[in-house]
Amino acid sequence: MDYFFFILSVICVWTILSLATNLVIGYGGLMTLGHVGFLAIGAYTAATLNILWHVNFYYTIPIAIIVTAVVAFASILPLLRLDAFYFGLSTLGLNIVITDVLQNVGPRVPGAEGLFGLDLPALMTSSIWRLAIIAALTALTVYLSWQLVRSPFGRSLRAMRDQPDAIESVGKSAKRYRVTIWTISGGLAGLAGALYCTTLSYIDPTVFSFLFSFNLLVYIGFGGLASILGSILGPTLLIVFGEALRFGGLPSQVSGPVQQSLFALLLIFVMVFRRQGLVGKYDFRE
Amino acid sequence: MLQVLISGLSLSAYYALLALGFAMIYSTLRIFNIAHAAVFGAAAYSFYILYRIFGFNIWGSLVVGVAIAAIFGLLVDIFIYRVLAARGGGTFSIFIASLGVASLFEAMALLFTHGTPLVAHTGSLLPITIGAVSFRPLDILVISSVAILYGVLFYAIMHTRTGLEIRALADNHTMAGVVGIDTNRTRTAIFAIASSLAGLAGILTVYDSGIVPTTGLNLLFVTIVAVIFGGTRYLFMGALGGSIVMGLVTAFAGFFFPQWVTVIVFLLLILLLIWRPQGFFA
Repeated sequence: MDYFFFILSVICVWTILSLATNLVIGYGGLMTLGHVGFLAIGAYTAATLNILWHVNFYYTIPIAIIVTAVVAFASILPLLRLDAFYFGLSTLGLNIVITDVLQNVGPRVPGAEGLFGLDLPALMTSSIWRLAIIAALTALTVYLSWQLVRSPFGRSLRAMRDQPDAIESVGKSAKRYRVTIWTISGGLAGLAGALYCTTLSYIDPTVFSFLFSFNLLVYIGFGGLASILGSILGPTLLIVFGEALRFGGLPSQVSGPVQQSLFALLLIFVMVFRRQGLVGKYDFRE
Repeated sequence: MLQVLISGLSLSAYYALLALGFAMIYSTLRIFNIAHAAVFGAAAYSFYILYRIFGFNIWGSLVVGVAIAAIFGLLVDIFIYRVLAARGGGTFSIFIASLGVASLFEAMALLFTHGTPLVAHTGSLLPITIGAVSFRPLDILVISSVAILYGVLFYAIMHTRTGLEIRALADNHTMAGVVGIDTNRTRTAIFAIASSLAGLAGILTVYDSGIVPTTGLNLLFVTIVAVIFGGTRYLFMGALGGSIVMGLVTAFAGFFFPQWVTVIVFLLLILLLIWRPQGFFA
């Protein structure tokens, strides 16, 4: 049963992260290949504060959100001048830099490669209540993202994605929209990170390898760009599929590569035959 | 210090082989071909299987390995990129599909090798020592064959019909089609040449230092930085100059701060993209 709760929590975390990624790729038209780097910052912030500095876990969640949003804000400013490929490549670089820095000088529990031993509040020690809290925060994120994309801000954002010059000509700053959505997305990734470290209970830099940013691209490419429903369907279906593969009796040494190859095939297939994914409202047009 | 310089130059040779092909595809077709890493790996693994497992002659295995790379690169283009473009996909979808190809190849390689490093050479490659510096005949062979290849290809691009067409595509793809160049045929030539170069790099790597499934992508990332560094305005000079710089940077960074090599490479990339996005030699 605990395993079942664990999988559901993992799905919730990746749903939040897929939403964060879809906000920038699907709605904002900014290619990111490095959002797992922001996940790492959120997770490390929450875990470090809680394990090494003994801060109550509930307080670490908002701090993780703010810290990650600030890092996201600071990291996009120099990258704004770059066009699509170079922007995507730099975010991938950012992911690698973040995991390498954590690997080399990141905080760790003595004698281990990473952090473990979270001191959770009483309510979160039971696995069902922990899942309930994570699921509630996920639902809240879904609701807020949905409100965000149907607000005037969301409409302007999509207009900026499609016609940046048109948005500029009616006196709005395309740059400001990009920075805003990137920062919001970073904050969401921070939330996902804080929840991820309670789910996994052990984190080290390998958990946040850029390969998982690739999975993220598969999740939202499959689910559909510029779609809230797509960002929920993508990770849910694919994580369930991955787990089913493991239960299909394959040893983990085989099921890992098999899952990666199937994801890669799926991504190629989606790009060739159905670029809007399952329920997307936008595709990789450029 | 001179020793590091020499190993940097021999690293540059591998980057230069990958960089020329990558830059050729990017500058003519606007395809950011991450699948180049898979082509590299395909040749390396085929060479290993032919030479080490079946015990074929080394030169025969080399030729077959390069041919497999060229065919593999072409198949990716014909069955994925061209189909994708015909169905209305743009350069970005092609980029993501090529990421998919690289990832697929890496996963397959991991599945079959379980991540064990494979090295094709047998016996030891004895270094020659002159004064304080020692180097291996293999390094000299690699560097000189890269120099010769660059010379031959440069001549071919500048003086043959296909070379002229490739340069025309780099200048203006649509216009080249309008004036009657068979762009699909030229595209085939570009992918064949570029993939052979990547295949050669793969074979040299598996022969010398050996490969694991991630080797191709790791090398390609540094190569892309080299291509950006060199710029694609002057194809050969850019690829060569960028590769030499990146070879030296990675060798010296690896010598002084071995843990920080990737961080240094990517910080350099970001600084470069901001400061001089058109490339250093353009």
